[in-house]
Amino acid sequence: MTLAICAQDISKNYNIQNVHTRALDTISLEISAGEFTLLTGPSGCGKSTLLAVLSGMTKPDRGTVQSGDFVLTAASDQERDAFRLHKCGFIFQGFNLFPGLTAVEQVQIPLDYLKIPEERARQRAERALDSVGLSHRKHLRPAEMSGGEKQRVAIARALVKKPAILFADEPTSALDRENGERVVAILRAIAHRIGSAVLCVSHDLRLFSQADRILEMEDGKLRRDLRRPRT
Amino acid sequence: MADAVSNLYSDKGIANVEAFLLGSGDWRRTGSGGVSVTIVGIDVNAGALALARVVPSTLRNALKEPDTVVVDEGDSDKLDIKSGETAEISGRKVRVIGLIRGLRGLGGVNIVTSLDTAIALDRTLPSSGGATYYLSRAAPAEAETTILERLNKYSISPSIETWKADDLAAISTNYMLMESGAGIAFVFATLIALFIGALITSQTLLSAVAGNVPQYATLRALGVSFGDIRVIVIEQAAWVGIFGFILSFSVSLIISTFAEIFSIPYDLRLTTILGASVALLLVAIFACVIAIQRLRETDPATLLR
Ligand SMILES: Nc1ncnc2c1ncn2[C@@H]1O[C@H](COP(=O)(O)OP(=O)(O)OP(=O)(O)O)[C@@H](O)[C@H]1O
Ligand SMILES: [Mg+2]
Repeated sequence: MTLAICAQDISKNYNIQNVHTRALDTISLEISAGEFTLLTGPSGCGKSTLLAVLSGMTKPDRGTVQSGDFVLTAASDQERDAFRLHKCGFIFQGFNLFPGLTAVEQVQIPLDYLKIPEERARQRAERALDSVGLSHRKHLRPAEMSGGEKQRVAIARALVKKPAILFADEPTSALDRENGERVVAILRAIAHRIGSAVLCVSHDLRLFSQADRILEMEDGKLRRDLRRPRT
Repeated sequence: MADAVSNLYSDKGIANVEAFLLGSGDWRRTGSGGVSVTIVGIDVNAGALALARVVPSTLRNALKEPDTVVVDEGDSDKLDIKSGETAEISGRKVRVIGLIRGLRGLGGVNIVTSLDTAIALDRTLPSSGGATYYLSRAAPAEAETTILERLNKYSISPSIETWKADDLAAISTNYMLMESGAGIAFVFATLIALFIGALITSQTLLSAVAGNVPQYATLRALGVSFGDIRVIVIEQAAWVGIFGFILSFSVSLIISTFAEIFSIPYDLRLTTILGASVALLLVAIFACVIAIQRLRETDPATLLR
């Protein structure tokens, strides 16, 4: 199994107005390609912080994060930007779509920044929307879509560049049961079909049965690491 | 004084000399209260210098008739008068024979008349060749500055000062703006307007950027570099700048049209427009720099929570 990302003894502390928070406490872990990994744990235990560190948005205080030969923790800001652009996809709890753009345009944005020619970018964007079941919604703007549709556009935006790693932070918590399950099924399919490493933060027990692996955090530490044999 | 004036007449650099009188009076129409006015006595002969651009030659000629005056059309409401009607100035009956444009004052009302009528209306004005100012045309053979130097050195007594027309106009403008009460109020109002304009421009831009912070953060998360974000912000600033320029330019045009309609004298020069545009540009650039500085602090990690 290829490793998509590998973290060694990472720690992250926040010190704000004399309130000291140990968000991450010497965590080591590896995320594998082709696996749908679920990250869970009580509120405030550091799940989002871990995602930010693994994706190179936040620098840890100690430890190293590595993807292949690329050492994120030693890289410059620009190098980490480029790493995210080329290797990572993101799905946020709040969708974070661009209000002024139609669904296709949203999905095309990462490809534009990857300098993929307009015509091909458009085709790929349409195919990505197709794969999340939204081909009939491709000309709508966020204000004209339901929450579940918006999240599926966000997923299409994340998967359109076939990312090596896909990060999702509570992607289903703003959705109802049916839409939530649909999103999870898509995430799982991305891991298994495209071969991305999908790391998904969730409290949602319904997701657990879908996951290939479950990581449980508590107080900034990794408590449990359960891997389910792939069927 | 008389010596000085005859010296002026005899100087070889001076082509002609005419008197110009500034007096004051009390304007009344039957049954209404008084308005204190400035009486402007000008040489009404053809080709005279005083108010040559404001009082056309036909009106000038008509002013030769005693006790006739002209007023600015912008003041006709204030004076409650129309062309052809009569009024009293300091107890003497005058007839308004026409309206002129472009002499509306900052505060007071100007009544233009011939030198003789002016003297008759304001008894304190010097008669028999005296004047408040003398206007002269320089003979073409010599440079104005040379003539002025000679006049100041030999001919003119210390109680008389000489200026070139442009210099006197500049001194007068400066006095009106900087030393008269109305002028200072005007300068203040302009500064406040400029300040508010700058504030609106910069706030528009800053709030446009602030409103888009989550979008910028999303782009950062997707891997768009800060440099590319900066380009977007600069583009946005340029649009605010262009829009602001178009807006202020149209508003200036509308206001100047109103000024034209209500015969308020105004001066909208290319340099003023350019100056205001440069100020707008500087404000836009300044706001842009601040906006970029603020964006530098936005952390894409805040989207993960
Ligand atoms: N930018 C920050 N500044 C200060 N403290 C922070 C910051 N980000 C996170 N923290 C703190 O670090 C801890 C972990 O936060 P984190 O967002 O990773 O939790 P979480 O596991 O994602 O919680 P939740 O399930 O509620 O989303 C929290 O106690 C939080 O207060
Ligand atoms: Mg979180």
